[in-house]
Amino acid sequence: MRFKLLGALCLSLLSLGVAAHNVVGGVYAIGDQIEGEVGFSNGDMAAPGTVVNVTDRQGNELARLETDDEGGFTYTATQRIDHLFYANLSSGHILELTLPADELPDSLAAVGSVEVTVDKVAVPSVSTTSIATDRQGLEQMIERAVAKQVVPLRKEIAAYKEKSSLQDIMGGIGYIFGLCGLGIWWRQRQLDKQQTG
Amino acid sequence: MHIVDGALAVPVLAVGAALTVAGVAIGLKKMDYDHLPQVGVLSAVFFIASYIHLPIGFSSVHLILNGLIGLALGWAAFPALLVALFLQAVFFGFGGFLVLGVNTVNIALPAVMVYYLCGMGISSSSPKVAAIWGAIGGAGSIVITTVLVAFSLMLSGEAFLLAAKITFVAHIPVMIVEGFVTAAAVLLIRKVKPEFLNIKERYDAV
Repeated sequence: MRFKLLGALCLSLLSLGVAAHNVVGGVYAIGDQIEGEVGFSNGDMAAPGTVVNVTDRQGNELARLETDDEGGFTYTATQRIDHLFYANLSSGHILELTLPADELPDSLAAVGSVEVTVDKVAVPSVSTTSIATDRQGLEQMIERAVAKQVVPLRKEIAAYKEKSSLQDIMGGIGYIFGLCGLGIWWRQRQLDKQQTG
Repeated sequence: MHIVDGALAVPVLAVGAALTVAGVAIGLKKMDYDHLPQVGVLSAVFFIASYIHLPIGFSSVHLILNGLIGLALGWAAFPALLVALFLQAVFFGFGGFLVLGVNTVNIALPAVMVYYLCGMGISSSSPKVAAIWGAIGGAGSIVITTVLVAFSLMLSGEAFLLAAKITFVAHIPVMIVEGFVTAAAVLLIRKVKPEFLNIKERYDAV
């Protein structure tokens, strides 16, 4: 009976999520949509409603997002600038992600400089503007299609990077034993010196 | 358990680094060099323990084992854990380099405290009493660690009670598992290799 109670207690506590892991996440651009996810290295995702702050390089807040049930969030970019994402998952778990401007489509305004070029393209005649808009639409479609194919690959690569291999573990242990060996050698040298001296 | 870079204020990082340097200095000074291989082995154990996630229920936990390391090493836990934490940061990306000092204090200081608090207990002639003290050491070191983690976060501007509560609750399963593991380890080591826990020396001292 007592063990059952203990077991039930353990289970109910575990469902709260154990936070003793690495924080991982990623942001990916699909057209002007930025998709991201936040979670822990053991596969748990961030709790729903975790706040994600979006800022530019200067630290101006662009938006304040909340994660959904699966630790994901989306943001629609309006400017072609670097986007910084910051999430605090408590207990010293902090995640900072950056989406560089060059991953966003060219069609987004790159702050200020754009209007002039648009005017130049749009002025000459009606037929060229329609071609220009067609081209723009086509470019956007291509960008979106490519992003759709590439994003899963990038997620997989990110997950792969997080995974430490057996080499890493063996390497770490090797270093520790090596340090020990160094300590023992140094100690032995000291003893030898004392004996001879 | 590993606080990551960017979560703490600069003065906290500086104090953590200073305390770690002091702890490591004391550890190296007090360390019996015949026990060096033992320090290395336990450092390696800690290095791997954080990597092995035991699946329990919906989530998974990983052992920290700072209680056991403290009981076996005393002050030498500082150098042992510093090396292991450094290598974890290099190989696994756990924690970070700036925050290494704070993380070392948060994990090694409880180990040293457990060494003084429970050291007598585990040398008791009754295995039952020794196992109970081992469990107290194993679980207690995690409790102290969570409090220190919350304290570091508080000094960096987070609300202490909230941070402490979240960290504490998240680690209750670890405390339970860790208590059992440390108690079992103490029982086994007492039988097989009592000098590993300095038990013989303590007997002589008493």
